[in-house]
Amino acid sequence: MHKLLNINLCGVEFKNPIIAASGTFGYGLEYSNFIDLNRLGGISVKGISLNEVKGNPMPRIMETSAGMLNAIGLQNVGVEKFVKDKLPLLRRYNTKIIVNFWGKTLDEYIEVAKILDREDVDMLEMNISCPNIKEGGIAFGTDPKMTYDVVYNCKKVMNSKPLVVKLSPNVTNIKIFGKVAEEAGADAISAINTLLGMAININTRRPFLSNVTGGLSGPAIKPVAVRMVYELYKTINIPIIGIGGIMDYRDVVEFYLAGASAVQVGTANFVNPEIPLKIIDDLESYCLKNSIENISDIKGKVITN
Amino acid sequence: MKGIVLKNIKLNDKYYHMIINSKEFCLKVSAGQFFMIQPKEFDYIYDPLLRRPFGVCDIDDNKENFSLLYMVVGKGTKLLTTIREGVEIDFSQPIGNSFTILKNKKVAIVGGGIGIAPLFFLAKELKKNSCDVTIYFGGQSSEDIVFTDEFSKYSDRLVITTNDGSVGIKGFVTKPFEDDIENFDFVYSCGPKKMLEAVSKISVEHSKPVEVSLDERMACGLGACLGCIVYVREGGDVVQKRCCVEGPIFDGSKVLWESVCR
Ligand SMILES: Cc1cc2nc3c(=O)[nH]c(=O)nc-3n(C[C@H](O)[C@H](O)[C@H](O)COP(=O)(O)O)c2cc1C
Ligand code: FES
Repeated sequence: MHKLLNINLCGVEFKNPIIAASGTFGYGLEYSNFIDLNRLGGISVKGISLNEVKGNPMPRIMETSAGMLNAIGLQNVGVEKFVKDKLPLLRRYNTKIIVNFWGKTLDEYIEVAKILDREDVDMLEMNISCPNIKEGGIAFGTDPKMTYDVVYNCKKVMNSKPLVVKLSPNVTNIKIFGKVAEEAGADAISAINTLLGMAININTRRPFLSNVTGGLSGPAIKPVAVRMVYELYKTINIPIIGIGGIMDYRDVVEFYLAGASAVQVGTANFVNPEIPLKIIDDLESYCLKNSIENISDIKGKVITN
Repeated sequence: MKGIVLKNIKLNDKYYHMIINSKEFCLKVSAGQFFMIQPKEFDYIYDPLLRRPFGVCDIDDNKENFSLLYMVVGKGTKLLTTIREGVEIDFSQPIGNSFTILKNKKVAIVGGGIGIAPLFFLAKELKKNSCDVTIYFGGQSSEDIVFTDEFSKYSDRLVITTNDGSVGIKGFVTKPFEDDIENFDFVYSCGPKKMLEAVSKISVEHSKPVEVSLDERMACGLGACLGCIVYVREGGDVVQKRCCVEGPIFDGSKVLWESVCR
């Protein structure tokens, strides 16, 4: 039965292609009282940096039509505390661990990649696409030369773990960035991170977020994400993890048809922590009903002619 | 968790009262805790998207039904009013810490507007523990003053104020509270930020312990998104707390009020 959803991503065996998206799932442990973490294909933890980061001032979140804006500012405990305090607890669950990471400078990216590569994690996911911090982050994801450098240099210091590069949708042509990341040695691409957005309180005439702008996520961004996965699939040969607005199994199927090899579920975890588990069950039923032997069989099978 | 909506009634143009049946929830919850509820009957509606946090207003004596009192302010609460009685609705477990329930003490409860909701449950618990309870209940106008019969039942004194003087004493609720403060051992408060800040300041000036319930905007309600941070003093430091899982109840003397959003 489980064979229906088994996938292999860059040599790592996932029991199903449903992964919790970075920043929406804490360090995984926060959810352990609400759902059985063992059922998830994988967990991408909150973006880790070299040193602890306290994040942006409040307010940090605002709901918008069929989505939300956030400007958390990559708050995290830092790589050392993560490895010491969080990772051992998370490892007790039978699910793949993807560590999302970022740096303020090229050197910080390299340093964190080097440290995490030696630890007991399954994959690294480089975040070059957070729109909510001033230094680093998105600058690496919106300039192809910087993208190449950061991916190439991190890959060079990594010996054992696959490197996923998470792309920003805040560019005019995402294909360029997918291509550059692939050439620099990325093992897979994840797309997309949040879309830069803004909301204004008409009574106070001030932005709702202290950071003025924030990243838009949720069902509102799904069509943009599907289009970008579709464009990437036509351009590159490494696997793509589809992210953006996934709420149910239909959305997952849509990402697969566009060319995704796995997906991440983000904002939906806030809406109801049980959504990823329901997606897994429904996706299995969908495969059975449609005589699909393995979910990978429909990858890229959108009909456009 | 899931439960059947038994009642969803309009109290006046501003306030609604919803009663939900769930023994599982009632057995777990304590005064001051809140929960997240999907503000719509159907989960395939994506706008509004997120669940909304509400304080638990009341639990019936059989511990079978719990209630929330809500003010219609936006899309989410407007949709909440359309949920029909008899419908099964999805909500979270009780979340967060709770008020300290004292025994045989003289306590003040200060509530402003919709902030009164979790204080009803609190008053009931304090009365059960033989406290002498004085409730100060303030609002903009008479519309904000609801459940007065029930509040009288679970308090020894009920002081009502309105800004426009339409019922009770005209003015801010903090005034009569400050006049009486020397009578109390402990202060509890929930309501708008400005009121909580004033209540905390008055309490600190008179060396009275004060617990406040904060109501930050929330996305996940389970400690993962870091969207609900409150800054508090701890030892000599200022530390970050997640309002949802490390709150919503805070020591009012420790909160950095300039960091609180609402
Ligand atoms: C509150 C919040 C925090 C996030 N933090 C991170 C992060 O630390 N690193 C990262 O790569 N993406 C982060 N993201 C982006 C998500 O992982 C995901 O790419 C995006 O939200 C789109 O997916 P969704 O529509 O399913 O939420 C965050 C998103 C949200 C809503
Ligand atoms: S609401 Fe998400 S951490 Fe508190």
